[in-house]
Amino acid sequence: MNWYKVFALLLTLLQLTAIAGGQERIITDDLGYPHVLKNPPQRIVSLAPNITEILFALGLEKKIVGVTRYCDYPQQAQKKERIGGMVDPDLEKVISLQPDLVIAFRGNPLRLIRRLKELQLSVFVLEQGTSLESVFSLIEKIGLITYKEKRAISLVDDLNTDYKRVLKLLTSVKHVPKVYINIHGKGLWTCGRDSFLNDLVKKAKGLNIAGEMPRSWLAYNLEEIIHQNPEYIIVITQSQKDFAEIKEWFVQEAHLESTQAVREENIHYLDEDLITRPGPRIFRAFEQLSRILHPTLFGNLR
Amino acid sequence: MKAHKKRLRLLSVLFLFLVVGFYLSMTKGSVETSFANLLDFLIHSDQTHAKIFIQLRLSRALLAFLVGASLSLSGAILQGYFQNPMAGPFVVGVSSGSSFGAVLALFLGLNFSLFGFSLQSVFAFASGLAIVSLVYLLSQKKGIFKVETLLLTGIAAGALASSLTSFLIFFKSESFEQAVFWLLGSFQLAEWTQIRVVFLYLIFSFFLSQWYAKDMNLLILGDETAQSLGCPVSRVRKIFLAVSTLLAASSVSVSGIIGFVGLIVPHWTRMLIGPDHRYLFAYSSLTGGIFLMYCDLLARTFLPGSELPIGIITAIVGAPFFIYLLNQQK
Repeated sequence: MNWYKVFALLLTLLQLTAIAGGQERIITDDLGYPHVLKNPPQRIVSLAPNITEILFALGLEKKIVGVTRYCDYPQQAQKKERIGGMVDPDLEKVISLQPDLVIAFRGNPLRLIRRLKELQLSVFVLEQGTSLESVFSLIEKIGLITYKEKRAISLVDDLNTDYKRVLKLLTSVKHVPKVYINIHGKGLWTCGRDSFLNDLVKKAKGLNIAGEMPRSWLAYNLEEIIHQNPEYIIVITQSQKDFAEIKEWFVQEAHLESTQAVREENIHYLDEDLITRPGPRIFRAFEQLSRILHPTLFGNLR
Repeated sequence: MKAHKKRLRLLSVLFLFLVVGFYLSMTKGSVETSFANLLDFLIHSDQTHAKIFIQLRLSRALLAFLVGASLSLSGAILQGYFQNPMAGPFVVGVSSGSSFGAVLALFLGLNFSLFGFSLQSVFAFASGLAIVSLVYLLSQKKGIFKVETLLLTGIAAGALASSLTSFLIFFKSESFEQAVFWLLGSFQLAEWTQIRVVFLYLIFSFFLSQWYAKDMNLLILGDETAQSLGCPVSRVRKIFLAVSTLLAASSVSVSGIIGFVGLIVPHWTRMLIGPDHRYLFAYSSLTGGIFLMYCDLLARTFLPGSELPIGIITAIVGAPFFIYLLNQQK
């Protein structure tokens, strides 16, 4: 046996021990906190509904031990232990579940995140981002910390293929209709320039009439809607029942009679959970919105 | 020595409530634990139970106790100071001022800490103090100080601070839920560093007010009479105002606004042991601490799996009981 064979053997042995001992890798989360990747997490707590949806989409059902009371999709998520809300999780419950990874989202208060870290929980915080594409990086990051990188990449590929196809169809749009988006039930709440929803409307080739307002969410007023004369009113609600009620309000409101959307009854429903959660289903919402705004374009697709 | 007996009796009742309150705070929660678990933990501690008992339950109970004591002491001082049963940390604008500072910090996105206190708390404290100083200066004319003016200015400044707070919340609606928890108070995120700081302020304020308690008794007779009896009125007034502000602002800065405690607890105590401030200060603090500890116990156990803002509990429990007591007195 010559010296170089011995060396090769040693090297292999060394590598084997490194793998057996679990190679450590340090990354940072979206708040800049360091996060050590050591072993695949076995007990995950999700602090937001979109995170839960992504975890399920990555096939991590068995690893999830706790979700919030708002996590209702997919159905199996409702069977998981509830840890409270996004702002008021029950810390005792979280600790008693003995999670080795807690995934937080930007809707969780920062004080809460700090508190969870003080309790020596491994917390990874994710930011929402301002565009539709940031959902891709969200999925990839969750894939990375849960050791499901390959699955995450193929999920992103699938979503991206559908998304690209819709985008391609939209390139032939000539007329960009004016849209009024109504959120939070009655009361004319809408989304401004800085919101995620505004980006979605823009990409679906619509013109959000409140899109110039330098805020995320704001209360709009009736006069302004009349003045802008939207061609579409999109009502985002939890259920068809709530939608019917709000649609009725728009139709009955005498001052809005003159707007094109009301005259032509171009008032449409979008599922709130679908469109407000930056998770895999948001692309479905994107396609729905594009179909509503450009009905002729999608005529022969699916 | 009838008064002495009354106080002794109240003290023993309060002590009983305190012990039971701590016991319940330690054993009740969303994770089921018994006395046996607690004993077991005390003998050979394990990680999970250590976190639940020490980091979560004990810290909450202690912080609730300290904040309750601070708010009640602040209220007792202000009621004596203004010789007005309506007075309390809310009325002079401290609470509203502090909450404005806190929400402002939230709005500006300031989220790092300074000396173990989050910047949000520092803001709360500073703006609470600023509002009271402003009120104090405005209600002084040519060195003469009018209690009515101060109360009214306090109410006005408080209303201004509250509406500014609402304005900020309206504009930054994303942080709405966080702001609600702030405005209605919560001990959900109690930390040991907060306990240490609130404790220091409370002890300092308590000894200072106890030291001047006799002078407070004299102030009740009117400023001129008090002066002629050898009480340094203007100095005493300044000290009491500063102390009560310190107490209220430090409470608000760790737990948000918790209404009603500072108003009703000193009243209860006065009804039970009489108006002598030498005892009123101590008894109010103790009663307020115990009261808030029980309220927090309710806040975290009433609806399993979710938290109630504690301000809701203090009002629901406090108000009817207060009305009942007032009726009994007639």
